[in-house]
This record gives sequence, C-alpha cells and structure tokens, in this order.
Amino acid sequence: MTKIVKIVKENLFTEAIILAYAVIFILKPETGMAAVSNSGYYLKEMLMIMPVIFVLTALLDVWVPKETIMKYLGKQSKSKGVILSFLLGGISAGPIYAAFPFCIMLHKKGASIKNIVIILSSWAVIKFPMLLNEVKFLGVKFMAVRWILTVIAIVIFSWIASKIVKDEDLLREPTFEPEGVIINRNACMGCSLCVKNYPELFEISSKKATVIKYDFPIDEIKLKKAIDNCPVKAIQFNKR
Amino acid sequence: MDIFTISIWIGTIIFLIFSLVKNKEKTKMALKMAFGMGKNMILSILSIILLIGLILAFLPPEQIAVFVEKQNVLVATIASAIFGTITLIPAFIAFPLVGTLVDAGVGIVPSVAFLTTLTMVGIVTFPLEKKEFGTKFTVVRNGLSFVFAIAIALVMGVII
Repeated sequence: MTKIVKIVKENLFTEAIILAYAVIFILKPETGMAAVSNSGYYLKEMLMIMPVIFVLTALLDVWVPKETIMKYLGKQSKSKGVILSFLLGGISAGPIYAAFPFCIMLHKKGASIKNIVIILSSWAVIKFPMLLNEVKFLGVKFMAVRWILTVIAIVIFSWIASKIVKDEDLLREPTFEPEGVIINRNACMGCSLCVKNYPELFEISSKKATVIKYDFPIDEIKLKKAIDNCPVKAIQFNKR
Repeated sequence: MDIFTISIWIGTIIFLIFSLVKNKEKTKMALKMAFGMGKNMILSILSIILLIGLILAFLPPEQIAVFVEKQNVLVATIASAIFGTITLIPAFIAFPLVGTLVDAGVGIVPSVAFLTTLTMVGIVTFPLEKKEFGTKFTVVRNGLSFVFAIAIALVMGVII
C-alpha cells in the first residue's frame, strides 16, 4: 500500500496530464484528438533520435579520458584550459544539475572559476550529440551561427565571472562527513551503473541510487570500480 | 527517416562497433549507462510531450507566431528568455518544438533566446546550484548567462 502511495506521489505531473486529457476528451473530443496528434509528432521525432543520442553521449563519456583533462584546468592553464573545459562540458552525460557537484570536485582539485563557468555553460548548451539534433530541426546554418556566438559569449562571460567571484566565495565550511559509503543524491542521475557494479551495496529507489544498509565487509575493489565508473562522481567512500 | 537522423545512427553504430572491438567491458558499461538514463527519463519526457501537444492544440503555432509578431522584438525576446528560464524541457524535445514554431513564423530572435536560457539558466535548479556553489557564484553565473542569451539572440537576428 505504501508503495502505491509512493508511486502516485512521485508521478504527480504525469497523472495531472492524464487527467487533463481525460477531461478534454469528455468536453471537447476534437481538441483532444488534435492534442494527441500533436504529441504523436513529437513522440515519433523523439523515439527516432533519443536512443541514439543517449548511446552516443554514453560512449563519449566513457571514452574521453576525463582524468587527463582535469589536470589542465588550473589558473595557469590559459587557452588550453579553456578548450579542454569546453570539451569536458560538451561530452559529459547528464542534465546540468549533475554538473554542479562534479564542478565542485574539480574546483577542489584546482580548476579555476573561469573554467568551471565554461564547463557548466557548455554542459548546458553545447552538448555535441545535441548539436546534431539541432541541425536536423533548425538547419546547419542556424546551429553553426548559434554555436559560434554561444562559444564567444561563454568565453566573455566566464572571464567576467572570474573577475567578480573569487575562489573564497566557493569555499564552504567543512561539512561533517559521515564515514562509510555516501551518495550525493543531487548529482545522481539514476543511470544505475553502481548497481550493476556492486548490486549488494547499491540499489535504485525513487529514480536515484541509494546505499543498502550493509553489515558485511566492503569489497573495496568492487566499490572502487563503482566509484570510478559513476559518470557524475556522486559516490564517496570515507574510511573510518 | 531523414538523411540526417540516418547519418547520426550510422555514425553511432560505427563508434559502437569500434568501441566493442577495442574494449568490450567499457562498451557494456556505456550501453548500461545509456539504458539507465533513458529508463529514468522516459516517463517525464512522455508527460512533457503530452503537455506540449495539449498546449499546441489550444494555441496553434500559427497563432503564437501572430501574437509574437505584434510585440516589440526586444520585449518578445526578453519574454521568451524568461519563459526559457522557468521551464525545464529536455533539449531533444526543445529542438523539434522550436523548429515547429520557427516554421510557423515565430521570429528567430525570440526562439534563440528561449533555446539558450532553457538549458543555461534555471529557476528550478537554482537552489541546487546555490547549495553547491554559494549564492554569489550562482547569481553571477545565472545573471550573466541570461544577459548573454539575449545578446546571442539579437546578434543572430542580424546574421540570419
């Protein structure tokens, strides 16, 4: 019973839409039919492109050596850092909120504010697989001009941001870190790779990964694999 | 399927085969990741599509175009930038949607402003960003992105 309530609560948006459709079909069937045919067009377009975009994004994510790129994002990095930041944002998988904790981690490792703004912005607007999608619907010229202008704009405003925001503004009080395995649920996008890597320790609940209560000794090799494979680096292990 | 979709498919399949030959383990991981992400998003994507279908049934794109045309370009652009800021639509639905609107006659400038703020500026994600980066960084980044989104849109209107 509680499980049903939970499912109902998690999908309120979908249920509201279904309800709206039901009401419209009763009151104005023609409008309802028009809505269904509109939706059908977008559904068809999406189904043709979505699987391939997800696969392409995931392939780029696993093949581009992120660890190597991260070394070149510091303050002294200049133009090389800028280009690599664009690349890192452009190939990464996941929505922008997944980028926030990832960028905080990069900042702790020495990435400059400017490069972080570039990564966040390119993560949002210039995903490479998405550019292909943009060409399909809006044309090559539209995409190319928008892409060039956006890159120029990002270079300018990331520089402005680095003049206003200082490194100290990002430093927070050291938060209490409990020991054991922790998942940053704000970063997790529910890709379930951790569950595949270590099913005894992780599970997906409410579309996000969670740590199952464990009393067995942790297999550190398996855990390390799960941590390394997490595309948004949301898993942390604090040894006691 | 149009030639464009086909070429993305072919390109990806070649990449996939290449990846499979070089490292089976890594490829399996990528496919699992793609599947996991897709499974997680499919329901909300379907709902958004149904919502867009519904809105367009009441407000046909042609009517939207007529309405937008009557407004001052700057006002229309800022309004669509704000609209992009508050809505949260995945980009692969946003592109066909904006494609429909542009085809129906909605101007390039407001459309670009909407597309850019849609992904780069976020009211919904603001609390999450603030929690990670602090208020100053979040306000500066979102503010600058908003202003530059409008600048990008206006310059695009001149070029295209």
